[in-house]
Amino acid sequence: MNKNEKCNISIRDLLKKVFFVDLIQGLAVTFGYTFTKTITMRYPDEETWVPYSRFRGLHTLNRNKEGRELCVGCELCAKSCPTQCITVVPMEDKTGKGIADRVAARWEINLLRCMFCGLCEDACPTEALRLGRQYELAGKTMQRQLRSKEELLGPQPVPFDFEGGVITRARLERDEDGVVVKADLSSQKRWW
Amino acid sequence: MVNVLEVLLICVKVVIVSLILFMLPLPLTYMERKVAGHIQVRLGPFRTGPHGLLQPFADMLKLMFKEDVIPAKADRFLFKIAPIIAMVPVFAVYATVPFGESVTIPFINKELTLYISDMNVGILYVLAIAGLSVYGIILGGWASNSKYPMLGGLRSSAQMISYELALSFAAVGVVMMANSLSLLDIVKGQYGWHWNIIYQPVGFFIFLIAGVAEINRIPFDMPEDEGTLGAGYHAEYSAMRFAFFMLTEYVAMVTISTLGVILFFGGWDGPSFLPGIVWFVLKVVAFIYLFMWVRFTFPRYRFDQLMTIGWKILLPLSLLNILVTGLVII
Repeated sequence: MNKNEKCNISIRDLLKKVFFVDLIQGLAVTFGYTFTKTITMRYPDEETWVPYSRFRGLHTLNRNKEGRELCVGCELCAKSCPTQCITVVPMEDKTGKGIADRVAARWEINLLRCMFCGLCEDACPTEALRLGRQYELAGKTMQRQLRSKEELLGPQPVPFDFEGGVITRARLERDEDGVVVKADLSSQKRWW
Repeated sequence: MVNVLEVLLICVKVVIVSLILFMLPLPLTYMERKVAGHIQVRLGPFRTGPHGLLQPFADMLKLMFKEDVIPAKADRFLFKIAPIIAMVPVFAVYATVPFGESVTIPFINKELTLYISDMNVGILYVLAIAGLSVYGIILGGWASNSKYPMLGGLRSSAQMISYELALSFAAVGVVMMANSLSLLDIVKGQYGWHWNIIYQPVGFFIFLIAGVAEINRIPFDMPEDEGTLGAGYHAEYSAMRFAFFMLTEYVAMVTISTLGVILFFGGWDGPSFLPGIVWFVLKVVAFIYLFMWVRFTFPRYRFDQLMTIGWKILLPLSLLNILVTGLVII
């Protein structure tokens, strides 16, 4: 730094330095943030994140309006699966309805191999198979990770017409297999 | 008989003050985490107990039951004794720090002074003894026989030399105002809103900056600079020896806050609807909050910048402050 440059430091900058203006501005910013609303989500005891409906979580098998299961046992999901984690055994239902007669006798997915790519969902011609919004899949046994048709046909904790993308109140429940976080969809908030 | 009672009272006071100081890290670590959390738009500890209130106890238990590791090539004796050397002086300082003037104990009508002793060289004693604490840090860094702790210890000694001077000179202005070295007289001189912060603003700012450097907190925490030194002088320490270093740091922070309150903010002086001791505690807590606030706002200074500020700005400024104070008083 030569002499000319030294002289160019303006009086304003000097005063700023002497009275710690920059430092005080910084302190004001952090003090302001002290009293803003925190963005911490108190998962899983009090709050949980309910994803958008495009989320690819645990598979769900659906029924039509009359309550008949939509799956026709075509095995396309099993064929399209890159990790071959879906097992489908089809059978005749003998209700005399042609192609709609077929149902899956056994429909089983191995969640340990599944990578939730969603190709099975795309392959399904009857929209029976959809990837749902449940993502707490940890369990204490290997058996727990084999989900069968009977489990996946059950009512969904988050219905498909629920838009999602919100934080809701939640409750952590323990059972012998693992833990479940139950979301209370009536209370919603967005932290942003 | 009277003498026995006096001695007993002093013993009780010593025990109470020591116990309070030993327990201080519990609320202070909690406060530090909460302040950090809320400044960073987080919640801080929340899961252990209501609002995370039991977190400090969990930390304490963890530190107590951890293995006490001593590096194989460490100087074992120095390594073991260094935390104690660091810890003892910060406790010894409180022998002369006044927390209030005096209260009357009900039932026995005995006047009880709220300080252990009123030395006539109080401020000198406090600054001298508090400065000894750095030996623990240097020895701890040296005895670890490891690169980073050693660098931390060296930095600590260099930093302490630079800032001890400015800190003491900042206090000299106050001593000149009060015409006494006794901490009790310094506070008494400020009664009735004649707080030294009004007459000695420059002295206060030098004291504040030098104080932050003295207690090794961000932005001047060179001896334990996580970014470049791992954890600095206590990198090799674990369990209770590490806890002693942490205790030292927190008590040192309280010491500097207490000194700041006594020297510049009128000690226990305040509106009379609250007792003096409450005002005192409130002011100290405000100081501690300021230190935490600063810690989570500013980045760390580089070591050469630290030295530049100490020698080229703070020291001449504090000398000038003494000169001006002297001229005004005359």
